[in-house]
Amino acid sequence: MKSLPPSASKGPVKFRMPTAENLVPIRLDIEIDGQRFRDAFTWNLDDPDSEIANFARRTVKDLKLPPSFMTQIAQSLQTQLAEFRSFEGQEMQTKEKIVPLKLDLRVNNTVIRDQFLWDVSNFESDPEEFARTLCADLDIIDPEVGPAIAVAIREQLYEIATQSVSSARESRLAKKGRRGVESISNNKVANGALDLMKVFGSKGTVLRKRKEWYLYEPIVDLLSNEEVEALDAREERTARLKKKLDDQDDSFHTPLLPLIGKQEHAKVLYDQRCLLYV
Amino acid sequence: MAPPPHEEDDAEVSCSKLSDREFYTIPASSSWFQWDEIHETERRSIPEFFDGSSVSKNPRVYKEYRDFIISKYREEPSRRLTFTEVRKSLIGDVGALHRVFLFLDGWGLINFGVPAVEARDDGCTAVTVSSVVEEGVPAGLRIVPASAVAGGTQGSTAGGESVFRLPPLTSYTDAFGDWVPGKGPVCGVCGNHCQHGQYEKTMQDGFFKCQKCSLDNGNGEGKSADGSKTNDHMNGNGDIGTRSWTDAETLLLLEAVMKHGDDWNLIAQHVRTKNKIDCIARLVQLPFGEHILGTINGKCEIRNSSSQAANIRTIHHGTIENSQEIMSTEDKPDIQNDEEKVVEESCAAPPLKKRRKQSIIDATDSLMQKVAILSTAAGPDVAAAAADAAISALRKENPDVMNFFAADQHEATGKFASYETQNELGSELVNEGQDVQKNKAADTSEPVPEKFAATAFRVRAAVATALGAIAAHAKLLADQEEREIEHLMASIIDMQLKKIQHKMKHFEELESIMEKEYANIQQQKESILEEWITVLQESVRAGIPRWRDHAIPWSLLNSVL
Repeated sequence: MKSLPPSASKGPVKFRMPTAENLVPIRLDIEIDGQRFRDAFTWNLDDPDSEIANFARRTVKDLKLPPSFMTQIAQSLQTQLAEFRSFEGQEMQTKEKIVPLKLDLRVNNTVIRDQFLWDVSNFESDPEEFARTLCADLDIIDPEVGPAIAVAIREQLYEIATQSVSSARESRLAKKGRRGVESISNNKVANGALDLMKVFGSKGTVLRKRKEWYLYEPIVDLLSNEEVEALDAREERTARLKKKLDDQDDSFHTPLLPLIGKQEHAKVLYDQRCLLYV
Repeated sequence: MAPPPHEEDDAEVSCSKLSDREFYTIPASSSWFQWDEIHETERRSIPEFFDGSSVSKNPRVYKEYRDFIISKYREEPSRRLTFTEVRKSLIGDVGALHRVFLFLDGWGLINFGVPAVEARDDGCTAVTVSSVVEEGVPAGLRIVPASAVAGGTQGSTAGGESVFRLPPLTSYTDAFGDWVPGKGPVCGVCGNHCQHGQYEKTMQDGFFKCQKCSLDNGNGEGKSADGSKTNDHMNGNGDIGTRSWTDAETLLLLEAVMKHGDDWNLIAQHVRTKNKIDCIARLVQLPFGEHILGTINGKCEIRNSSSQAANIRTIHHGTIENSQEIMSTEDKPDIQNDEEKVVEESCAAPPLKKRRKQSIIDATDSLMQKVAILSTAAGPDVAAAAADAAISALRKENPDVMNFFAADQHEATGKFASYETQNELGSELVNEGQDVQKNKAADTSEPVPEKFAATAFRVRAAVATALGAIAAHAKLLADQEEREIEHLMASIIDMQLKKIQHKMKHFEELESIMEKEYANIQQQKESILEEWITVLQESVRAGIPRWRDHAIPWSLLNSVL
């Protein structure tokens, strides 16, 4: 048997975003008195908390929102940051893992769908650079697309990171329970991550089959203004529907839509779009 | 994959077993590249594949990536290969792939000589073509050395922004909000309104920093030196707070100066609201301010005052409005040849004074200096005449003028008696273009102390002189040019005539030759005819029958006879 590469698995590491910069993806979706504010951006954890209030104030001022938004924004921001911080004390697994990330988002008039592989164990990865390169290569004019892509990537990485925390916990428990050390070797990794040995081992090839190329290619669509408006209206309806369902106490009613999380929000859009185009 | 076509680099021809080779250009600095090997450069630049730190990255994998990318590029060498195109075909972390891609791009192994797309703003692309060189790549193409690439590959810090602190983003209202006058600029760093004298404009970043912040932000910019120089012209010295001289204050200042002369304490007292330094500064800024100082001190410093006047035209609202306007319209007299805007009044004294100054004046290019230079250029007589005419015209306008000039003249002659200056004002030379037209209403209705009117007039006089001098000079030049033109025309015509004459002679010769030839031909014809006749005679005697065959001689005969 060939020996494992010396540092196939690094020691456990404290929870953090597996990127070069410890930026947390934040999503805001606030509705007050019929006015809706949605935004997605990254927040630098190293900023002092005083910045939250500043940021909320600035946003309200710049976008001329009613002042009641200010507290809401600050609150939402606080909550998400607190959630992130709650993970921070724990350890996460840092076994080398390459997972497929997906992009499926609409930013103003641009729709982008893409799939690619990301090494979540590389703590120096840079979603922003990837987003920049992507926009440059695809000649995307809208400057908001790049940051949106970066945020989407970060959100997925965040998910994976939290999952790895729980899996690290499990594996520790498993070890304690003397159920045998979960093999740290590289067969059968969970979550659709890449089977590294198969691809990168001596027998495999890193060149993808030509017929699969289309799967990993980005698709960019530019929508016309009418389509954008239609989609926006649809989203609003969806959101309103969701709120109604949330308010309903009767659990007998099966929710028509699953609870909309960060990524699934995008999936819902995708479904809607399919409906639209079919 | 079929063995890739062998490439030839600039340095050598690599032997290949393939009979047909294709040529690809790579920079000479990348000549280490071999298809079959992985070079030390590659190992150094992208160490992640070679240090065994991860399963997914090993040399075999690297080589596959590299070969694929380069081959992909060479399928279409004229087109720029983008990362997005290759990453769909390769399995692996996109970050690592990107680093390999950048490495190859940086070393020119791909996308060499392909037009680069510059960084866009607002969606418009500027395309610059990097030169394609077949051989002898210029040294400028020494691509990113390994260390820089390595630095870049290790998780490029996003834009290096972590290195230095950017100022907090100014919000829209900060940048475009209502300008509150008197509040001063907002410091870009700390967001405070700056008190006067405490801001410096940083050229690089284009925003203001209060002194504290710029000191704190010691980023090696060292802008303080620049800042003080490049302050707003609007605010002169950059202090906004105290620098709002009203007309009343200015008047007080002037009165005080008249009264107390050099004693700045008293003057500051007189002008209650401004301190000593402010008073001095203000006086200097006034047109003729320094002149006042000068006359007080017994020196002439008009040149400074007028240069000040030229510069601070926009600020001064004060008492010398008229002369200001006039000067602004007549600035740069050396450009305008328009004599219609001559302002009245001049004096022999100012030009003379200025001529003395000429030797001392450095290249400040003030109004007075121009006057002086022009005077000398045009000749003293012309200048004097111009001055004279200007004075006389002004005299019509304002009889008091002469008093001022008389006083000045005494001063001037008293001071400059030792210099050789042309004091003849008598000779009237040609005064071309000396329209004396009143430009602006010379209503000196402001409560101006006399001295100011005097100096105002003097300046106007000087300007008039200048214009007159220019006019004369210009006319002379024009005349000269005309003469030259005529001369040239004459010579051209001469040449043409000569040419024609030669041609005619030529033709005449030809004609004579032709005539001679003609004569020759006639003679020959006759001789030939004679020969025929003799031949015929002979043949007749000999008894040879001929008449049927020889019709030709008859026609010849007929033609000759």
